[in-house]
Amino acid sequence: MIHPRYMPLVLKQLVRQRARTVLTALGVAVAMFLFVTVEALQRGVAAATELTGREVTLVVYRQNRFCPFSSRMPDSYAPRIARIPGVAAVVPMKIVVNNCSASFDTVTFRGVPREKAESITDGFTVVSGSLADWQRRSDAALVGETLALRRGVQTGQTLAAAGVTVYVAAIIRSEDPQDQNVAYVDLPFLQRAATRGGDGIVTQFNVLVDDPARLERVADAIDAEFARDAEPTTTRPEKAFVARAAHDLVQIVGFTEYLGLAALAAVLALVGNAIVLSVQDRVREHAVLQTLGFRSGLIARLIISEGVALCCAGGVLGVAAAVALLHFSRFSLSVEGVNLNVRADPAAAVLGLAVAAGVGVLAGLVPAFQASRREIAASFRAV
Amino acid sequence: MSEPLIQCRSLTRTYTRGTETITPLERLDLDVMPGEFLALMGPSGSGKTTLLNLIAGIDRPTSGTLHIGGIDVGGLSRSRLADWRSRAVGYIFQLYNLVPVLTAYENVELPLLLHRMSGADRHSRVAAALDLVGITDRADHYPRQLSGGQEQRVAIARAIVADPAILVADEPTGDLDKASAAAIMELLGRLSREAGKTLIMVSHDPACAAHAGRILHLDKGRLVEHAAATVGAAGVTT
Ligand SMILES: Nc1ncnc2c1ncn2[C@@H]1O[C@H](COP(=O)(O)OP(=O)(O)O)[C@@H](O)[C@H]1O
Ligand SMILES: [Mg+2]
Repeated sequence: MIHPRYMPLVLKQLVRQRARTVLTALGVAVAMFLFVTVEALQRGVAAATELTGREVTLVVYRQNRFCPFSSRMPDSYAPRIARIPGVAAVVPMKIVVNNCSASFDTVTFRGVPREKAESITDGFTVVSGSLADWQRRSDAALVGETLALRRGVQTGQTLAAAGVTVYVAAIIRSEDPQDQNVAYVDLPFLQRAATRGGDGIVTQFNVLVDDPARLERVADAIDAEFARDAEPTTTRPEKAFVARAAHDLVQIVGFTEYLGLAALAAVLALVGNAIVLSVQDRVREHAVLQTLGFRSGLIARLIISEGVALCCAGGVLGVAAAVALLHFSRFSLSVEGVNLNVRADPAAAVLGLAVAAGVGVLAGLVPAFQASRREIAASFRAV
Repeated sequence: MSEPLIQCRSLTRTYTRGTETITPLERLDLDVMPGEFLALMGPSGSGKTTLLNLIAGIDRPTSGTLHIGGIDVGGLSRSRLADWRSRAVGYIFQLYNLVPVLTAYENVELPLLLHRMSGADRHSRVAAALDLVGITDRADHYPRQLSGGQEQRVAIARAIVADPAILVADEPTGDLDKASAAAIMELLGRLSREAGKTLIMVSHDPACAAHAGRILHLDKGRLVEHAAATVGAAGVTT
């Protein structure tokens, strides 16, 4: 926007008003911290709940049941689901959670038959430990990275929650937000270990469909198959299942968007005020620059650059703080056994910086316009 | 004899303040030859600064014409006028008007930022200007670390660094002690004689005005011409 050779002039103006600059930048930092955190929250919810049309996973749940404790179906459903056209794989799953209501520290165990688990483990990146180790021990678990970091467990240690104690065979990373916050264990082990267990009883079936376009049709076929059974089912795409289970959380997170926007409005007012004051102090100086041949448009751009520089300084600080907090705290909101991960998303950070710079431009616009319209000779007489 | 560099014809500037109309400059005719050193004298409020501002292109005539170097300065657009200023005139103020956050060097460099040139080129021109006004050893000082006389030297360096043909100076010694004032006048005289600058200076001090080749008196926006001073105007062009 301005040639780099004018940058010292812009920066030295900010340094001149050191106290004002520091306070304004700190205010911007706090607001941008809030904005980026809210943005990360929104993105975490979107990643877990918004269908992109490429999903191939369905979740089969007991009809009219909303918590892993109460959804109980026989695992003999699995072969019947597998026979339905379009189904590529079926994984019966028992879910055990230490907390069914909304919580930041939920441990979710997913019991799956290890011999049939490739369709799930295929997409995993092993961060530490080994999948072979998981196959060997009956109490072995594959622990999602987010859960492992939050609970501070490493490979070779044990993880205990909800009355179940497992051996951490490997720590894994996955594209699927749900995998980040769960421990995968062998199904028979979990059926025996859980207090409300029972042989042959599972919570849900995760079904892989061979074509994303058939997702809905296969879901309907599954529910039709079991409509007359003792345990009828409701089948939804996994993300729709998460969206329903976490409905209240999603609503609250949606509301926080206004907090993010309010933070931006605060930045606009704060920086706008700082620029207006600083421009009022410098009417004569701008007249001098114009006398030297600076065009009024250049004066305007210099002033706008001050706003951008202020916002960027505060923005970098606030965004860095938000990224650090989200990275180290590993926030994960869980409810009814589903997870919403709040991560330090690089895209959210970049968006935060871009938005900060944009607000800087807006904040400088009015004072820049005023300064560029002022008559030079009159400015010299005014002060 | 060459053409006048500056031609004012019926030059008028009026201001309206509420219902009242003030005419600090009224139907003024004036020719200034290239290389001339002209002093403007006159009581406070007689329109001296108004005339300087018009010639420097930071104010516009209400009526009449102002041609400088063949260009109708009053008719230029806002941004063309700014570009013209950056090449054609240097303004020296009574109160120096240096930018306080910039060093002497950076103040002098300011006008050159507007011109397309290499960093090395810019540096050598700033150094030469600082050298010419004798302030090289203060290049890294900020305005508040300089005396009034030194500040005015820096301001003069800033006015000449882009090598304009015209310098205007509004009471350049008005805020200085006698010795500093004499040194500044010596410097301005040198710029006129040796660098061939066309110099128009407002001054209240007859001793300062005596350095000029021609002295004009303004009164209520009109010229009252006095006898030419010792040096003839026509012979100064270099
Ligand atoms: N922008 C302006 N608005 C109103 N009046 C002005 C303005 N500029 C100059 N004047 C008036 O014009 C008159 C001449 O001013 P000026 O040229 O500064 O005189 P001098 O420099 O000779 O003291 C003064 O009465 C001054 O108040
Ligand atoms: Mg004056």
